[in-house]
Amino acid sequence: MDQSDGLWQFMQQQSGKLLQQTVQHIGLTFISLLIAVLIGLPLGIYITRHRRAAGIVLGLAGVLQTIPSIALLGFMIPLLGIGPLPAITALFLYSLLPVIRNTYTGIDGVDPGVREAAVAMGMTGTQRLFRVDLVLAFPVIMAGIRTATVINVGVGTLAALVAAGGLGEFIFGGIALNNTNMILAGAIPAALLAIGLDFLLSRLQRLSGKGRVAALRVLPLVLLLLSSLYVLPLGYNSRLLAGFTPEFMGRRDGDIGLRSVYGLKIRTVVISDAVMYKAIFNGKLDVISGYSTDGRLKAYDLTVLDDDQKIFPPYYAAPVVRRNILQQYPELAPALNKLAGQINDSAMTALNYQVEYLHQPPEKCAHDFLLSHGLYHSPRNGRKGTIRLGSKIFPEQYILTEMYAELIRGYTDLQVESKTGLGGTKICFEALVNNQIDLYPEYTGTALLVILRPLPREAERLAANRDSVYRYVQDRFETFYDLEWLNPIGFNNAYALMMRRAQAQQLGIHTISDLTHYLKKDKL
Amino acid sequence: MIEVQNITKTFGTHKAVDNISFSIGRGENVVFLGTSGCGKTTLLKMINRLLEPDSGEISIGGHRIRDQRPEQLRKKIGYVFQNNGLFPHYSIEENIGIVPRLLGWDKQKIAARTAGLMEKLRLPPGQYRNAYPHELSGGQQQRVGIARALAANPPVLLMDEPFGALDPITRARVRKDFKELDELRSTTIVLVTHDVREAFELADRIFLMDKGVIIQQGTPDQLLFEPGGDYARDFFEEQRFQLEAARIGAADYPALIRAFDHFRKTVH
Repeated sequence: MDQSDGLWQFMQQQSGKLLQQTVQHIGLTFISLLIAVLIGLPLGIYITRHRRAAGIVLGLAGVLQTIPSIALLGFMIPLLGIGPLPAITALFLYSLLPVIRNTYTGIDGVDPGVREAAVAMGMTGTQRLFRVDLVLAFPVIMAGIRTATVINVGVGTLAALVAAGGLGEFIFGGIALNNTNMILAGAIPAALLAIGLDFLLSRLQRLSGKGRVAALRVLPLVLLLLSSLYVLPLGYNSRLLAGFTPEFMGRRDGDIGLRSVYGLKIRTVVISDAVMYKAIFNGKLDVISGYSTDGRLKAYDLTVLDDDQKIFPPYYAAPVVRRNILQQYPELAPALNKLAGQINDSAMTALNYQVEYLHQPPEKCAHDFLLSHGLYHSPRNGRKGTIRLGSKIFPEQYILTEMYAELIRGYTDLQVESKTGLGGTKICFEALVNNQIDLYPEYTGTALLVILRPLPREAERLAANRDSVYRYVQDRFETFYDLEWLNPIGFNNAYALMMRRAQAQQLGIHTISDLTHYLKKDKL
Repeated sequence: MIEVQNITKTFGTHKAVDNISFSIGRGENVVFLGTSGCGKTTLLKMINRLLEPDSGEISIGGHRIRDQRPEQLRKKIGYVFQNNGLFPHYSIEENIGIVPRLLGWDKQKIAARTAGLMEKLRLPPGQYRNAYPHELSGGQQQRVGIARALAANPPVLLMDEPFGALDPITRARVRKDFKELDELRSTTIVLVTHDVREAFELADRIFLMDKGVIIQQGTPDQLLFEPGGDYARDFFEEQRFQLEAARIGAADYPALIRAFDHFRKTVH
């Protein structure tokens, strides 16, 4: 199917969501712009009259502008939690500089002869401000507001990362799912919005005489009206609030499956996984999507709800190795298989916790683990050859890679070269296929859904059973790519729904079905 | 009408106006004449408190100006700028009506007053009422500037090089129409200029200034025929023949010949 064709269909299917997100986006843009104008305009006027303050005010506003937008949102979370408040605050801070600076420059640029004439004719300070300075500086001030608006539309897409809605929900969902249509369904309206608003404001900017005076009067009202468009992202009205990542929202083995298989109806906000855990810990959220071996599970005392209807496919980790290397060094497979079945979910969670939260080096964790399980052998320092190890860019992979490195050095005469931090699945896999690395730890579910991508029906059939997925990927990798899956390490790093342990116990919720029942009962 | 006593104004270390005193009668037209930087504009701006003197006292109509609110004071004093200072976002009619509007005149009165002034200054209201300053020529803009200054019938009119930015022909025309305004009969005018002929044409009395002080004051004839020192004599030397001829008028032949002789002597 043609790409643009698919995009159009996607937008039609999702038109309700698209409209809602667009309206939210406009509201978000203008509510923060309104606040920026309410504060920036008087501040800009103030510094034209108190020159000494100008440097400080413009400097501070400039510094705010240089903070990367994601970081600014990050700062906001501990102070303001999640939702509209941090998003609006961050957007407001970004639009402040153009408003202040252009007010200052605009008034400063008014012909001194005209200003002196206004004084000489007996106008008071207020009369001069409203009848001369502001009217003559109008084009420059409007240019500032224009800049701020376009910045807000752009940065506003990040609001989706802190559960404030907007077109970013599609954009980030699409990026996470590698779904181009979804990305474009968010990005194109956002771009059109920026261009359209820029055009409208440029028309306003060019107004002269009476039109300008009228615009000065009407503009605040229009801003207020557009700001009121921002309605909170509401779904179902339930007592519990769920926060799902954009990726989870768009996946069959995610929100879609929860609705269709479990019939789960819960009020949901979209949020980035970087802030999700903190938000549930602080009680801002009650249910989140996460990974079952994430160290934060332990750090924030969360519990995983049992997937009793099996919608999340298993993600068992095992080393994937080039077959010719296994043939060249037959002693390699036994060494790697030493780890098979050794690490269960809670052990892996604990290891991740040590690295992520106690900030221990992955090598040390790996070494201690092997030592305590009697798997450690001191290096033989052999010179038979070199094995190149790869890993994706997160702690669990670093730990596993370190373990394999020690096992290879201890049980064979081979050397090890580590190429850690190879970005995502695609990059690792390509490196392996193209003989840049010899092995890396992969997950069965990822191999199935990201690399092999069987038809949905096939995937659903496989998903229910741990062994069938493993056999399927093992078979296909061997046939198509000449790659071998060694034995699984034991743990299952799958998608999972999580709640605070205390709350889950108090409400008697242990499985996802329990959660669905609780919400149904709660509604009655 | 205007009493100035011992006014001094210093910018940094530069004494722009140095202990100047004078008085101007009601309806009198006086011109402060001098080269650029002599302090004449500074002096003018202190009369409507665009600048505040370091020391000294100014009163208008018997009231000290520093006891009045600057905005109130300025509405009673017309001011014409060299570069007109028109509001680019106001139409001609609105520009002329600024001070009446600030004073709260009703709309009809403002419209009538504006139209009247435009007629007198040769700006047909039908054609120019709704025009904007940038649509007018330099001379027309200056006419609007004059109309604006006179709109609220101020008893005092201050003019800062009002014709200085115009070409000679336009300048002569605007000046002529300005002189014929009947508004000016009861108005006290203080004009500053470096243009000797302009001073002679408009002044009842001239104050010749240099380096912040008044060198000589008197009627045009007094300054021309009884110069009080080298500076005054030199100042008029270049244009003496034309000035003298203009003062005397073509009918007074003996005086004209005397002037011509004088001119020849200075040339040779």
